[in-house]
Amino acid sequence: MNKSLFNIILISCSLLVFSGCDNFLDKEILGNSTDKNYYDTKYKLQSALNAGYDILQSDLFNECEWRFGEATADDVWGGDEGLASQMGQLVNFRFNTSNSWIADRYYINYKGVRRVNQVIANVDKVQLSLPLYGEYRDVREILGQAKFLRAFYYFNLVKTYGGVPIRPEVETIDNFVIPRSTAAEVYAYIEKDLREAAIMLPARYTGVSAGKVGSGTAIAYLMKVLMYQATPGEPSSKWKEMKRLGEFFIDGVSMTYGDILKYDEAQEDWEALRKRLWFKPQELNQPTDPYETKNTQLPALQNAYSLDFKDSYGMNITYLDQFTGAGEFCRGSVFEVVFKESADGSLGDTNEGSFLYDTFYSSSPQIWTTQTIIQDLFGTDPRRTYMIGHNSYAPDGTICVCGESRNVSLKWYTPIKERPQNGGDNSKNRRVMRYAEVILMYAEALNECGEGSRALIELNKTKSKANTITGATALYVGGGYGYMRDQIWKERRMELCYEWDRFFDLVRQKRAATVIKEYGFLRANKRGFYFREGINELFPIPQNEIDISNGVVEQNPGY
Amino acid sequence: MKTIIKVCLSVCISLLFVSCDEESISTPVASVTVNQQEFSINETMVIHFTGVADQVSIYTGDNMHKYDLRTESNTGFVVNKGLFTYSYSVSGQYKVVCVASTYSDKAEEIRQDTCSFIVTVTDDVTEIDKLSCAQVLYDEVFAQKYPNDEWLMVLPRKVKYSTAAVAIPLTGQRLKFYIQSDSTKVLINGNPYVSATKYNLTNPVDIQVTSNYGTVRPYKLYTIYYPEFDTFKLNGVAGTVVRSEFDYSYFEIGVTLPTGTDVTNLVPEFSLFSPTDKVYIGDVEQISGSSAVDFTQNVSYRMVSTSPDNPDMQAESTIKVKVKNQ
Repeated sequence: MNKSLFNIILISCSLLVFSGCDNFLDKEILGNSTDKNYYDTKYKLQSALNAGYDILQSDLFNECEWRFGEATADDVWGGDEGLASQMGQLVNFRFNTSNSWIADRYYINYKGVRRVNQVIANVDKVQLSLPLYGEYRDVREILGQAKFLRAFYYFNLVKTYGGVPIRPEVETIDNFVIPRSTAAEVYAYIEKDLREAAIMLPARYTGVSAGKVGSGTAIAYLMKVLMYQATPGEPSSKWKEMKRLGEFFIDGVSMTYGDILKYDEAQEDWEALRKRLWFKPQELNQPTDPYETKNTQLPALQNAYSLDFKDSYGMNITYLDQFTGAGEFCRGSVFEVVFKESADGSLGDTNEGSFLYDTFYSSSPQIWTTQTIIQDLFGTDPRRTYMIGHNSYAPDGTICVCGESRNVSLKWYTPIKERPQNGGDNSKNRRVMRYAEVILMYAEALNECGEGSRALIELNKTKSKANTITGATALYVGGGYGYMRDQIWKERRMELCYEWDRFFDLVRQKRAATVIKEYGFLRANKRGFYFREGINELFPIPQNEIDISNGVVEQNPGY
Repeated sequence: MKTIIKVCLSVCISLLFVSCDEESISTPVASVTVNQQEFSINETMVIHFTGVADQVSIYTGDNMHKYDLRTESNTGFVVNKGLFTYSYSVSGQYKVVCVASTYSDKAEEIRQDTCSFIVTVTDDVTEIDKLSCAQVLYDEVFAQKYPNDEWLMVLPRKVKYSTAAVAIPLTGQRLKFYIQSDSTKVLINGNPYVSATKYNLTNPVDIQVTSNYGTVRPYKLYTIYYPEFDTFKLNGVAGTVVRSEFDYSYFEIGVTLPTGTDVTNLVPEFSLFSPTDKVYIGDVEQISGSSAVDFTQNVSYRMVSTSPDNPDMQAESTIKVKVKNQ
C-alpha cells in the first residue's frame, strides 16, 4: 500500500515538473523592444538608420575598402604582398575562394544591407502624433537615406562579386538561402533605390545634419552606377542618361521627379508611390502643404556643390584641406563617412573609426608609392606636390617618416592640430565621393555620346582648378574619342588617386587586366602578373556561402 | 518486482557493453560526376561527389596539384558538401583524381578509394573583340566590325591638334588587337604581328588568327579615309577648311566672296581625293561645275567614300559650307 502510494506520488510529481516547464518557456517577454514593436516613432527609426550608417565607420568596412579598391591596383606597393598571407594572396590574384578578406568584404556589406533593410521594412510601423507635413517629411528623409545606403552597399557587392543574392527586406528563419540575382537585376535594384532617394531627400544637408546623404549624393551615385553598367566605346542608354543627369547636376538643366524615376503610370499609381515613399497622402494634405507630382522639379544642385576650395561656410581652404578636418563637408564634398574622435565619450575606438589614416601615414605604412609611379601618375601636374617622401616635411612642418624610398599621399595625412588624442581614433572624415568625380563622370558621358568639345570643357574644369595650386597653365587639348577618353581617365587617376577606387575604376574601364598585368611585369614579386582576364575582374563568392547554401548560391565562372 | 529490476539491469549492462564496441570503418567509395570533360580556358568545371567518404579531396592535375606527385608537395583540394568547382588557366590534358577517405577515431586507421578521369582544356579563341589603330597621332581609332569577319577602319586624312593639322598616312599605322587569349597568334599579310610595327593599310590587309588549339580564322581589314573635298571653290574663290578635333567626319568650309556677290545660285567647283567618293546634298548627287546651290544659308554636304576593293565598306562625312561677304 505504502509503496504503491509512494510510486503514484513520485510519478505525479514528475509529470507536474514537466508540465510546469511548458508555461514558463512560453511566457511573453514584457517591456523589451523587439523588431515587432520597436519602430513606432520616427526617433526610433532614426536610431535604426544610424546603425545603417555605423557600418561605414567600422574598421572592417574601411579595411576592405582600401584593400580591394587601392592595394590590388597599380598605384601602390604594399607591405603585405607575400603569398603566405591572405592579403598577399588577394593582391597577387592567387587567392582561393576561402580567402578571408573576400569573405569579410562580402559579410560587412551585407551587414549594412541587413541594417538598412530593417529601416525600410519597418517604416510603416511609425505612428505620427499629428499628420503634419513636416512629420511625413522627417520619416521620408530617413527612408530615403536608408534606400541610398542599401544601394551603396549593394553597389559595393555587385562591383566586387557580380550578381549577388538580393536579400528580402524581412528575413525569416525559413528563408535564409537566397540564390544569386544577375548583375543586371542587382543594378536595377540599386538604380530604383537611388532614383527614389533622389526625390525623397533635400538637395544637400548642412549644419548639424551635414553628414547625411542628400539628393545630390544619390544622383551622383546614380551616375556612377550607370557608368559601371556602360562599356566605354559602346553607345548605350546608360551613357545618355548619365549625360542627362550631368546636365541637371552641373549645368542646372531642370529635371522632374518623373524624369529621374522613369515613372511609368502603368506600373504604379502616383498616389500609391507617394504613400509608399512617405509623401503626405493627398487626402490628408492641407491647402498650405506642398503636393508633389511627377512634374515637380528636383531640388537644384547646381549651386550646392562647386570645385572651389571653400569650406562649408564659404571660407577659402586649400586643395589639401578638402581631405582634412578643416575641409569636412566642403563645397566639393558629395559623400563623406563621418568620423568623430571619441564619439562614444571614451578613449576607445568604438564607432569612431580606426587608425586608418595613421596606418598609411606612418613609419610602416600598409601601402605606399614610389617615385616611378608618381612620375607616371602626375608628370608635372601641380597635384604631385601632395605626395610626400621619407624625411620630407608636411605642410604643417611635421616630418614624414614612412621608410626609405617610400612615398605616401597627403590625402591620408592628418595635420598635427587635428590629430586625435587616442591613436586608435580617426579624427577626420573619409571622402568617398567628391564633386570633381561628378564633373569627370559627366565629361566621360559627354565624350561617349559624341560630344567631345563639351567633354573638354568639363575635363578642363578640374584641371584648371588644380592649376591654381601652383599657377600652372597646362590644359588638356581636344582630340578624337580615344584621345579624349584617355585624357579623362588620366585626369580621373590624378584627381581621385589614393581615394581607394582605382581597382574598380580600371575594371569598369575594361582594362584592368592590361594595366595590372603590366604593373606586375615591372615588379620583382610579379604582384598583379597573375591577373586572369575575364575572371579576376570579379572576386569569387566566399566559399562558405556556396557550402552553407548547398550550392544554391553558385560560384563565379573561373573559380 | 525484483525480477523486473534484474531484467532491466541486465538490459542496461548489455547496452553499456554494446555502446563500448569499437566503431567500424565504412568502406570508402570514390565516385564523382563532372559537368563535362572538355573545357575552354577559365571555364568552370563542376564536380559532384556521389560516393561514400568521411573526407574527399580532389587533385586537379595541373601544376602543384598532381596526384602522382602528392609526396612531392603537390596538394589536392578539400571538397565541402560534395561540391567542387575549378577552372584551368593553361590548356592541356589533366588527370583529375578524387580521393575518398574514411577513418576511425583519432585516424588510427584510414581507408582510401580513388577514381580518376581525364579532362581536356583547350584554348580555341580566334575572335577579335576589337581592332584599332592605336596611335593616330595621340588617338586610338577603332575599326568597325562587319559580317564575314571583315573590318573597316576609317581614318582622318589630317588630325587637328591644338593649332596644327597633322597628316595621317595610311602607309604606316600601328594596329592593336583585343583578343581574349594571350596565346592566340596573329599574322598580318602572312607575317607575325608586332605591336610596334607600322603597317601599310593602303590595300586590304589579310589577317590570320590562329588559336592555341590550332584553329585558323582569316579576317580582312579595309581602310579608307573619311571623305572630304580636296579643293572647294565658289566663283573661283577657294574655301578654307576647318577641321573638328573631336569628330573626324565633320568639316566646315568657309568661303569669303566679294561684297554684292549673288549667292543664291552658285555653282561650286570641287575636286575629290578618290574617284569613288560621292557628294550629295540630301540625296541629290552634286557634280562639280554643274550643280547650282543656294548659299544664302549654310549648306551641308554629305560625302560618301567607298573602298575600291569592297563596295560595302563605306564612310560618310558632313561638310558644312558657310559663305560670307567681304
